[in-house]
Amino acid sequence: MSKIYHALVCCRAGMGSSMMLKIKVDQVISEESLPMETEHGNLDSIVGFSGDLVITMSDLTDELTQNPQVPAAIGITNIVDKNEIKQKLTAWLAKQS
Amino acid sequence: MLSDVLEEGLIQLNLEAADWEDAIRKSAQVLLDAKKATPGYVADIIAGVHEHGPYIVITKHVALPHARPESGALTTAIGISVLKDPIVFGSEDNDPVKVLFPLVAADNTAHLNALSSLIELLSDPDFLPELIQAQSAHEVLTIVAARERKNS
Repeated sequence: MSKIYHALVCCRAGMGSSMMLKIKVDQVISEESLPMETEHGNLDSIVGFSGDLVITMSDLTDELTQNPQVPAAIGITNIVDKNEIKQKLTAWLAKQS
Repeated sequence: MLSDVLEEGLIQLNLEAADWEDAIRKSAQVLLDAKKATPGYVADIIAGVHEHGPYIVITKHVALPHARPESGALTTAIGISVLKDPIVFGSEDNDPVKVLFPLVAADNTAHLNALSSLIELLSDPDFLPELIQAQSAHEVLTIVAARERKNS
């Protein structure tokens, strides 16, 4: 029951959109008390990533879902939309139990 | 804070651009002029969009052009370019783009405070309309600084 899911928040460079996305995702995780923790990286970080989920901007998710190294991927279209982030995270979490 | 890395010379208003590539080049030109990045950095921004799609369009009407630091980042900086006419980037949900925030991240942590401040500004639905109405670069600085004071 007490499993904490581990997510990698990444973009191509790992410097811009993904850092901002991590800030928003962490806010949602904290406000909603979701059983998740995040780390941050670029697309190269996926190699060797052993967590449960990858979170990116939506334009990057198609190629991620085709990557066998990616356990699951969530794409966010609007980085400031906490409702979108919340809905997508809780929908994914609901499928895990 | 964003104010720490924002300079009047990095702000452009009423910028005219032919297409998304032109918009990125023109918004980033001030970063080249100010020696914040090399031309290779701008080329990598554009290559990234060609490769992966318009993932730099992060919310409605806003693009955050940025590239990998090793492609030519010199000094951490963020610019602001408001386009005269909005431009289509091919983003299904967030087109057309009206404001670009070209970002140079010279190392992994120095720009984190600025980005964290920018995301808070963008989370306020009143920020963008106010920014678009600004008549001068100085007014943009004033708007950003006033909002950051309010948020902190």
